[in-house]
Amino acid sequence: MTVDTPITPAPAGAGKPARPAPPSKVRKTVGMLLLAAVLLLAFTQVDARWERLPAFITEAPGYVALMTQGVLSNPVVDPNADYWLAAINAMIESIQMAWIGTLIGAAISFPLSFLAASNIAPAPVVFVTRQVLNIIRAIPELILAVAVMMPIFGFGPLAGAIALGVGSVGTLGKLSSEAIESVDTGPIEAVSASGARKMQVLRWAVVPQVLPEIVAFWLYRFEINIRAGAILGALGAGGIGSLLSALFNVRAWDRIGITLVTIIVITIIVDQISARVRSRIIFGDTKVRVMEPAEVH
Amino acid sequence: MTAPTQAHDGATGAITRAPRKPAPTAFTVIGLAAVLLITLWAGAGIDFTLAPLIHDLTRGEEVLRQFVPNWSFLGRDAVITASLTTLYMAIISSVIGCAVAMVVALLASKVSAPNAVVYQVAKAVMSAVRSLPDVAYGLLFVAFVGTGALGGMAALIMFNIGVAAKLTAESIDAVDPGPIEAVEAAGGNRIQRAFTAIIPQVAPNYFSYCFYVFELNLRASLVIGVVGGGGIGQTIMTELARFNYDNISAVIVLFIVVVFVLDRVSRAIRRRLT
Repeated sequence: MTVDTPITPAPAGAGKPARPAPPSKVRKTVGMLLLAAVLLLAFTQVDARWERLPAFITEAPGYVALMTQGVLSNPVVDPNADYWLAAINAMIESIQMAWIGTLIGAAISFPLSFLAASNIAPAPVVFVTRQVLNIIRAIPELILAVAVMMPIFGFGPLAGAIALGVGSVGTLGKLSSEAIESVDTGPIEAVSASGARKMQVLRWAVVPQVLPEIVAFWLYRFEINIRAGAILGALGAGGIGSLLSALFNVRAWDRIGITLVTIIVITIIVDQISARVRSRIIFGDTKVRVMEPAEVH
Repeated sequence: MTAPTQAHDGATGAITRAPRKPAPTAFTVIGLAAVLLITLWAGAGIDFTLAPLIHDLTRGEEVLRQFVPNWSFLGRDAVITASLTTLYMAIISSVIGCAVAMVVALLASKVSAPNAVVYQVAKAVMSAVRSLPDVAYGLLFVAFVGTGALGGMAALIMFNIGVAAKLTAESIDAVDPGPIEAVEAAGGNRIQRAFTAIIPQVAPNYFSYCFYVFELNLRASLVIGVVGGGGIGQTIMTELARFNYDNISAVIVLFIVVVFVLDRVSRAIRRRLT
């Protein structure tokens, strides 16, 4: 090791070591300028009726007040009790649709995720399966429902559940195959060494390692599907989306308020339960928080 | 836990019997029972049967035949404008949504929140914002300001805050406390601490989430458009009402191709960031 690195006390005479030069800001500046240019283009070109912007201040508070009134009025008096019950029932139907949809997605994606894992399947199979998953991921549930499920199965919760299920296959398959790719090779070698065939290796060495993580992905997708089902409802698949769009059509603001509060409360409760179960599955302890995959939509 | 092996005498060469399988834990049993019950309940609730799968699929072919894409529809001015509107909406909403999300995330992480009350309130707000589906925001803001891209963008911004704030807050929770202590020791205030010690650490993840949110927005803008929030979703709704399935399928194919390409670009950028 030579001693004359720039970090050593600077030339005799100067009392302090020289400050290091600040890192270059060129990249940052160029990035910012690019972003500003794109934003400017978007703002000037978008067809958005900006003159309606003040409505957020002039009109929205009135509507919010009406919604709050609906939420705060006595919930056990006659019409209100029915409103709350209708919202709760619709939310339950949404949850049922999301659950069945998630199961369908899990059932289809589970075998596919093995075919998409490079440590399990041969390279050409992996390539084809991954492209299929990518294409499914690019198609929103809405399109699946409008273009494929509803013309075939008619409007209803069944079409909604199948659309949610097929829509889930893309992300679930991708996340699960990544989990499979990162398994510990030790158990695989051990099982192979004892003479197991390929399927037996999967059953005894791979599945036990990845199952907790994959089940956690399913549960997380279930949380997402409860939200994603709402748009299918607005198109006639039933559940909370159908109720909401019917209420907005007649502008029943008090009922809208009640319904939105119901959605928030029930969704938070279901999310909490699901998060507890996920953490229990992965860590065996509900006190530990599971980090959610940044990409599950 | 005693090993239930019968024989362990390798010296005599006797075949060792396989250890007994461990009994399933109570959690597994209860969990599987719960899954079964919820499935039966949910299936009954939405009248789930496999029958339509068989007798409706035969009808599928006839329905799908109406979906032969009418490519000339894509050349119409209105369709081009609507597609560009979707893109602009996604860009504007991602930028505004992510900027707000950073502020919310700083307040909703124990590392950076000024005090426990702010932290709890910010977390509660974040859960509430996240729990409403995109279509609910779409309906709400379209009712507030009328149909068009303005309400649609407001809806997308709320949706983006929900997603980006949560992910960013989790990244902030995990930052290295060293730089924060250094800034504090040098007498930095809360704002200086955020800008010099926290944001630089989470920046790669944060920008990656921003691009991810942009990808989500392209899909979500479709949903928002269906309820009147402008863009290509609104075009699809109009054509659906007129039963012009050939036009819809052309738009859908275009949409899927564009989303696929932009996803690839965005993913490539994200990989370089993190």
